[in-house]
Amino acid sequence: MTIPTDRPQRSERRDFLKSVALGTAALGVSMAGPEVLSSSIGRAKAATGKNLKMAFIQFMPHTVPAAWSKGIEDVLSKQGNIDYQLLDGQAKIEVQISLMDTQINDGANIIFLQPVDSVAIGPSIVKAKRAGIPVITLNIDAVEDHAAHVEMSHYAGAMDIAKTMGGAMGGKGKVAIINAPPGIIIRDQRTNGFIDGLKKYHPDIQIVADQPADWDRKKAQDVFTTILAAHPDITGVFGVNDSMALGVVDVAKQKGIQGKLIVFGDDGEKDALESIEAGELTGTQYTDVYQQGRFAAAAAVVLATGGVDASSFRAKGHLLIPYIIATKSTVGQIQPNQRW
Amino acid sequence: MLRRFPGFALLCLFVVLFALFSVFSRRFLSAANIEDILSGYSFMAILAIGQAFPIIARGVDLSVGSNVGLGAMVLFDLNMIFGLPGYAAIPMAIAVCALAGTLNGLLVTLLKLQPFVATLATLAAYRGGVYAISGRQLYPELATQSIRDPWIRSLDAYVDVGRWIGLARLVKLPSLPLSFIVLVVVAFAAQTVLSRTRFGLDLKTVGGNPEAAHLAGISVNRVQVAAYTLSGLCAGLVAVVLVARFTTATEATGTGMELPTIAAAVIGGASLQGGVGNALGPILGAFLLGITLVGLTLIGVSQFTQQILTGLILLGAVWYDRATWDRQQAAAARNG
Repeated sequence: MTIPTDRPQRSERRDFLKSVALGTAALGVSMAGPEVLSSSIGRAKAATGKNLKMAFIQFMPHTVPAAWSKGIEDVLSKQGNIDYQLLDGQAKIEVQISLMDTQINDGANIIFLQPVDSVAIGPSIVKAKRAGIPVITLNIDAVEDHAAHVEMSHYAGAMDIAKTMGGAMGGKGKVAIINAPPGIIIRDQRTNGFIDGLKKYHPDIQIVADQPADWDRKKAQDVFTTILAAHPDITGVFGVNDSMALGVVDVAKQKGIQGKLIVFGDDGEKDALESIEAGELTGTQYTDVYQQGRFAAAAAVVLATGGVDASSFRAKGHLLIPYIIATKSTVGQIQPNQRW
Repeated sequence: MLRRFPGFALLCLFVVLFALFSVFSRRFLSAANIEDILSGYSFMAILAIGQAFPIIARGVDLSVGSNVGLGAMVLFDLNMIFGLPGYAAIPMAIAVCALAGTLNGLLVTLLKLQPFVATLATLAAYRGGVYAISGRQLYPELATQSIRDPWIRSLDAYVDVGRWIGLARLVKLPSLPLSFIVLVVVAFAAQTVLSRTRFGLDLKTVGGNPEAAHLAGISVNRVQVAAYTLSGLCAGLVAVVLVARFTTATEATGTGMELPTIAAAVIGGASLQGGVGNALGPILGAFLLGITLVGLTLIGVSQFTQQILTGLILLGAVWYDRATWDRQQAAAARNG
């Protein structure tokens, strides 16, 4: 699977417009606050006579889904008639499928989902759609079409990471990618964005290793130690999430090669920002993940109360959240209440 | 008669929990929910039955999860890379898993390794094999494509038994997932093997007292290898069921399944001391874990509390089983 970089402009534009529409709707709700909304939600409540049910099925316990969940709760708790639950997929697709089934039977109105596998979750999404339940994916897209997808701009962000990272490396040298496991679209988006970014801005930089470390700091330490043994002349590493990049920083510190190694992460979690301020991690793509959760929740409220059936969504709305590339010189812009 | 069923206490616990969840959550007893529990946990029950064989033979198979992953990836590769249709690829994948089980058995018997160590090693080795042969890593474009083969896709089917037997007009019965029907067939076959064949008797003798079994002229090695092969065979069946359900094979398929299957088998009355066990208990054990997770989610108990409660239920069930066993031993000692 490759990212359709050569996709015709027009469909790109249509996607963009759809995102803007969805984004505006989402913003509208989150800005409007309870007073304005209570009238329409009150009607929905009067009609059904009970609370709406929404659940977020996360990949596994991690800083990113925890922050989304907080953002989602920010918005949903203000509505006053929504029961919200955070459920743990335990990084196992069969657990997620079982949780999806339970939610569908339980009459959930919206399911937020961070799929463990973009393909294997497909049959469950079909089942949810058949039951009229909109599914909103966060960050990790699913192959099966669904109501909406809210992501951190993986492709464009990774391209910018490649640009900044290559600049810090002086436009030459060897890099390694510490990657996510295959089978999830985010892996392709971030990897391809990074590769295309290097090709475009720094064609002399060579990618010598690309290995999965399953999003995990500890695993990344082991994987990078092995890579370093095979390629001691590596001067740049892209960790496809911050946890893995911090694992690389751990190894660099231990081996005393910190000054020589440019390390970039992705996501922008608190630990990564602190590491950048301490001069250890070189940079990351920072997204306000609370805000991302709020966007998703706001879209969910619109879907659940607007009388819109999931089957009326022929293709998903694609909402990309803005980001900055945080490095030592820019990390100060990120306010304390935006750190997660 | 029912009292003689070794898992009687377990059956009671199961019924009590089931009743409790039905009272506390209206959705629990719905046909759709029963359907989901059946489709979500039948594969665990099949693995637990497979696991019971090595456990009865005083061993354990820690590699079942990795073996499932291996079978799933073989099926994926045969179909997606080599274009083999399902009817050819499915038996081959199951055969690979059975062979992997045989290898476990050979490590335990020929190399005389501790079952725990031998299958811990193959747990790592088979999982490594999954990554090495992963069609999703070798051909990245396959990673986000789903399997379209009609033979494989059709296995994710549901059978509307209610309409078959004409009860649908009276009550909404759950449709049975195909994996549950596989489970029923496996359970029937396994119980027959355990209680009505020479091999079943030999297996229990070997597990109960290997030396005595040897003196009685039983080929201990052959029985043990067969036990691990059967565990592998069950892993193969589960691999096929899961690939049909996922429409792909992930590198992580089966990860972490070994402990729940061991727990289910032990809760179901397969004694870790060897020599004791049946094919029906593990099914109850697996579904006990299933209804606990689903029931607690439906009641709205938080995930962390769920894990604590699941652990406590496990402890309680195993403790009860152990206490019963001790009482029986004491009674036997008094009478003997």
